[in-house]
Amino acid sequence: MTTVADTLPLDDTKAPPDQAALADVLADAYRSDTVVVPIGGGTSLNFGMPLERAAIGVSLGGLNRVVDYPARDMTITAEAGVPMATLAETLAAERQWLPIDVAQAETATLGGVVATAFSGPRRYGYGTMRDYVIGISAVDGRGTPFKAGGRVVKNVAGYDFCKLLTGSLGTLAVISQVTLKIKPRPTASAILLADLADLDTADKLLASIVDSAATPVAVELLAGPHWRDHPALGTLTAGATTRLAVGLEGTPPEVDWMARVLADEWRALGVTATRTIDAQAAATLWHDLAEFAQAGDAPLVLKASLLPSRTTEFVALVLDIDPEASVQAHAGNGIVVARFAKFDPGDVSQALIGRLQPAARLAGGHAVVLSTTMGGLTRQAIWGPVDEDVVWMQKVKAQFDPKGLLNPGRFPYAG
Amino acid sequence: MTSPALLAVTDQMRRAVGDENVLSAHSERVVYECDGFVIEKNCPDVVVFPTSTEDVAAIVKICNEADVCFLPRGAGTSLAGGCLPVGGGVMIVLTRMNRILEINLRDRYAVVEPGVVNIWLTNALRGTGYHYAPDPSSQGACTIGGNVATNSGGPHTLKYGVTVNHTLGIEAVTADGTIVRFGGPTEDPAGLDLTGALVGSEGTLVIVTKIWVRLTKNPAGVRTMLGVFNSVDDATNAISEIIGAGIIPAALEMMDHGIIEALEAAFHFGFPLDAEAVLLIEVDGLEVGLDAERDQIVELCQRSGAREVRQAKDAKERQLLWKCRKQAFGAVGRLSPSYCTQDGVVPRTKLPHILRRIAEIGKQHDVRIVNVFHAGDGNLHPIVLFDERDRAQIKRVLAASGQILEECIACGGSVTGEHGIGVEKIDFMPKLFDDNDLSAMGRMRDAFNPHNRLSPAKMLPTSGACGLEQTHPGRRAAL
Repeated sequence: MTTVADTLPLDDTKAPPDQAALADVLADAYRSDTVVVPIGGGTSLNFGMPLERAAIGVSLGGLNRVVDYPARDMTITAEAGVPMATLAETLAAERQWLPIDVAQAETATLGGVVATAFSGPRRYGYGTMRDYVIGISAVDGRGTPFKAGGRVVKNVAGYDFCKLLTGSLGTLAVISQVTLKIKPRPTASAILLADLADLDTADKLLASIVDSAATPVAVELLAGPHWRDHPALGTLTAGATTRLAVGLEGTPPEVDWMARVLADEWRALGVTATRTIDAQAAATLWHDLAEFAQAGDAPLVLKASLLPSRTTEFVALVLDIDPEASVQAHAGNGIVVARFAKFDPGDVSQALIGRLQPAARLAGGHAVVLSTTMGGLTRQAIWGPVDEDVVWMQKVKAQFDPKGLLNPGRFPYAG
Repeated sequence: MTSPALLAVTDQMRRAVGDENVLSAHSERVVYECDGFVIEKNCPDVVVFPTSTEDVAAIVKICNEADVCFLPRGAGTSLAGGCLPVGGGVMIVLTRMNRILEINLRDRYAVVEPGVVNIWLTNALRGTGYHYAPDPSSQGACTIGGNVATNSGGPHTLKYGVTVNHTLGIEAVTADGTIVRFGGPTEDPAGLDLTGALVGSEGTLVIVTKIWVRLTKNPAGVRTMLGVFNSVDDATNAISEIIGAGIIPAALEMMDHGIIEALEAAFHFGFPLDAEAVLLIEVDGLEVGLDAERDQIVELCQRSGAREVRQAKDAKERQLLWKCRKQAFGAVGRLSPSYCTQDGVVPRTKLPHILRRIAEIGKQHDVRIVNVFHAGDGNLHPIVLFDERDRAQIKRVLAASGQILEECIACGGSVTGEHGIGVEKIDFMPKLFDDNDLSAMGRMRDAFNPHNRLSPAKMLPTSGACGLEQTHPGRRAAL
């Protein structure tokens, strides 16, 4: 299989067998001023600015051990290269899980998921990776290993590098080992689906969920061709444009009760065509909802972070720019992932920088490019306009990677 | 600070924020010589009360120009000496920045100034169906700014998470006086999660002037139980059984015989005085699932040897139970003139071991230790009782406290779950972390606080103090 790593202009790829060897590789790179691209499963190497200098890859594939799994303490310590699917299997044996949705879980690694801080639909009910990392070991740009946090679920000793490194995209240090707090697996899972006439109706339903007696774990607003004729969702009802899929998890009585209550609440708002998806169909749908952002080769995949109340208006803008775009919004969190069907280089300045990014900003947040088949996009196009906090990110970067050798230029800041 | 320099700085502070917002007389400043950690004391040279972010920036700039150290303070409820002005300097008290600026229910966030008292926010949200989840026992007094500085927990953080899990963004004044915003009301800000890294930095990196917090939906129902046990071992075993069964209670607190005695004397709740331990267990969520969860917990407690499991019969009784728990530290005053508490954490399955060790350590040092703590998280609060007039006893208290924390480290735990390192536990940092770890933390400080004028001599053993030769405060006041 050709991975993105194979397409990077790497001079060489080192694969240290353990954490000590990883530190040696990075210390050598520091001495020889060699740029380093950390590689986990290689599923997200196209996220951020492309590599701008000659570099070596450092694969974490050799660091693939589960170090400690005291199930009764509900924590697990594993090396960065452990694939997410392996981690999930280990936890499932004890009826536990890490409730973070991961795309390409067979390939994506724990370290990579921490470094990108990607998450999926369940973030509404369970939070994101930053809520689960309680201990971290890493090697900085000088090749010096360090750690922070620990193996207990509550701990405020020292600076919280678990938060600092989660989402740092390998620009401060190469993550070598992670301790997570984990949760018991719910015994039931279902998705309540409604096909909606328009985005205004969607907005009404989304507002009602804020005050609902039910406590869903995912609130997904789905629009566009990808969701129209779907193996788990079925065919979109005639006259409908949008689908709302709400994830419900807990014990079987809790899930049944929530599905009933939500259907009643929606009926009161005039939406009667609801349907509960459970068992295997729900599993298929959860899987697709986790994969959407990284599946296929759309010319542009954009992720906007907005005030949740501004979600439908942003979705409308996406569909105005490209009526054939497929959209998945984690609407309860104000996250919109848009997979454009058609996006030309000429649209970058007009649509992306000219309309989408300013709209995201007006809606309280920003928009970043998750992936694109177009080359040559500027940092502003990929990451959006920066604010004064970038200065402080650069100061931190300079402390951890003084020569600027770890994924240089990939992040919102230069260097 | 020398007198002429001090006078000049005080004068500039008065001009910057107004006479009414500056304290300079010793009798006024002495209130600020310590926080809830009373073993060490030192008076700040000037106390300033900013009323705006711009005030804070102006104060910080004056301090930098005069090369004077400074530190922030909320309500001063910190238990680890985070607000101790080591080396004096300017204390920036944020209690007059106390407005709730915005509540947005549709988008589930609120914006507050740092001096807002924790409970005010939840009170302001009454009737909306939402609340602010972190609920430290001091929530009636402590400020949200202080909670951010120490990454405070509380009983309900077992299920709902600590302060950082509810902090979306902060506005801060940096050590050089720059106003900067990290994060905000929307999730996943681009770039590094500096909000996450700054929460819990104990006022050593920035001074927080505004906070965007996540609001949490109120649970529809709640069941509160009191499990009564004849032995501490049985109680800790029950904790392990409950967690092991895959139940995450909203809160799971343990109180031992000594605390029960003090609480009963203070509140007359009807605690069984002959019990060795009680567990305060609360589950919340959808009504439809709660009775089954309660029944399962009752069964697990009984199987672990509970002699009785009571249920709070109404909201009033539940409130009284929680009042007892949250005021447990206050009730300890009935047991001895002074006490100090520790904040160690162990993996939950090590609770039986650590509680046995705490009892042994108490005997070994001839000090009385009582326990009230967040059992579900493995977060201990052994309270060591003493009389501060007895110097020999204080030495034994410190020795016992230290040994307990060493034991927590040996169990794979930590020396602080929610109180912070402050000055109190600075000696333990090299025991938890190696030189490389501490260097990395030092570099983090260098990024934000390169001259170390902000909160010197806190948290890191290498953090120095301007105007101080000693790099570590020691135990001057106590010994």
